[in-house]
Amino acid sequence: MSSIIEARDLTKMYGTQVALDHVNFSVQAGRIVGLIGPNGAGKTSALRAIVGLTSYQGRLQVLGREPFRERTALMLDACFIADVAVLPSWLRVDQAIDFVAGVHPRFRRDRALGLLAKTGITGQRRMRELSKGMKTQVHLALTMAIDAKLLVLDEPTLGLDILARRAFYDALVNDYMDETRTILVTTHQVEEIENLLTDALFIDKGRIVLDASLDDIATRYAAVAVAADRLEAARAERPFYERRMLGKVVLYFEHPNLERLAGLGDVHTPSVSDLFVAKLSGGAA
Amino acid sequence: MNTYAWLVRREFWENRAIWMIPAAVGALMILAALFGRVHQMSLPLEFPGLAVGELFLISIGATFFSVMSIYATWYLLDCLYADRKDRSILFWKSLPTSDAATVLSKLATALIVIPLVYFAAADLTSLLLAFVVSIRASSSFGGALWHAGLWLQLQVLWLYLIVASAIWYLPVAGYLLVISAWARRAVMMWSILLPIAAMLAERWFLGTHAIATQLGERLFGLPGVAFHANAGDGAWMTTAVGDATVRMPAGIWKFLDVGGFLTSPQTWIGAGLGVALLAWAIRLRERRAEI
Repeated sequence: MSSIIEARDLTKMYGTQVALDHVNFSVQAGRIVGLIGPNGAGKTSALRAIVGLTSYQGRLQVLGREPFRERTALMLDACFIADVAVLPSWLRVDQAIDFVAGVHPRFRRDRALGLLAKTGITGQRRMRELSKGMKTQVHLALTMAIDAKLLVLDEPTLGLDILARRAFYDALVNDYMDETRTILVTTHQVEEIENLLTDALFIDKGRIVLDASLDDIATRYAAVAVAADRLEAARAERPFYERRMLGKVVLYFEHPNLERLAGLGDVHTPSVSDLFVAKLSGGAA
Repeated sequence: MNTYAWLVRREFWENRAIWMIPAAVGALMILAALFGRVHQMSLPLEFPGLAVGELFLISIGATFFSVMSIYATWYLLDCLYADRKDRSILFWKSLPTSDAATVLSKLATALIVIPLVYFAAADLTSLLLAFVVSIRASSSFGGALWHAGLWLQLQVLWLYLIVASAIWYLPVAGYLLVISAWARRAVMMWSILLPIAAMLAERWFLGTHAIATQLGERLFGLPGVAFHANAGDGAWMTTAVGDATVRMPAGIWKFLDVGGFLTSPQTWIGAGLGVALLAWAIRLRERRAEI
């Protein structure tokens, strides 16, 4: 069984408000999965459930464990970065390393020190003295030094400038990711991560609206930019979303007939962010 | 070091006041002894030396113990609240330490570690003060401070008080931890408001005051349970000073009521309630993330 995360009818209610509504999905080993949705769609609720921070209804297995009941054991094999601002202001960098080394048997101090050495942040600094970008680097160094099977990231680059964001994802892909690891990441800045994802999960109003690998997306979806004179012919192919740009209209199709579309205009695979917009604002076109 | 040792160490990193406050209290006392009018201090000659030493050591100890009680209360109210407020709970919860271990480490810090720090600070301060006073004050006064037996008794008294308080105040600590794990703001206000509301409600609807009585017993009743009020003959030494009579304990041994404390139902009913409140605090901690 290579399923790292398995959710069946996962439901989370806050009072009468439904944050997750009988959600089903699974995440396989070695994948980088983007959980993508607008604000308030249920992303954070899903991640909180997965890392054992909240109770939930339905069935949820993460690395073969029930997250809420077995959070302590789960955190041996999984780690998460909730967002970068959560390292306490009073903590010194060397204390952070000592503490994690003390309580986490899978933490490799030499690796953390090596990663930190590259950043030039010294151990005596307190978190309150560091910029948000530097704090991210410390948090990432701590997390990447843990030999975990699953890494969960919740809006990890919120509030960072473009350089820090790029550095964050570069480090993740180049220094961390390999076939033994799985990453689940949420963000609402889709463009930033679409090049590194292997799978995308779109979530909206507590429901999964798309669950596909990037390869699936390439075969399942197509976008065609058509000129105005061919618009009616293209519409006959039943697009689910259309969007005007630069005098042309881009039409989005699910399970397209590529041969017929090819005669109408430029056919391309939509990017994850375009597909996201199309899926969430489209519905019936 | 095991997880608990790291968790307690973490408390020292976060709460430097654990040692800074007793250090400051001790430093102030020593400064006062160094530059105050110690050399003018005198006691009536008929006052026995032992009583002088006792008064000296007990007042220092009581000062530290009072400051410690206030600080430990504040610490317990803050400890499960501060990391929810600054969201660092999301970092702590990303590590394989259980919520039970976290809560218990904070309880142990408040009831055992902090008192031991204050005990050490009180001892060190007493020693330095006795030294300074011996040099600066008149000889009879200084000499009275160096009774080995008295010092030994004080060590026993401190340790007994630490252990007895840890058991006796367990329900209070459990209650403070519940508030700290539960409140979304104003932990101090909630901790005071809830018992006051309960007392008023009882008074209005039932016309009784059982909660107030119980609360008073719990907060101030430890001396009555852990010590003999009537220690019998020879427990006191009395000295006539002018027209008045000064009565001081002749030693602590006859006052300690270890058996009475350990067999009092009040002790164990309270401890049971404390355990239940702790379990509740742990449960709340498991379900709460940042505010």
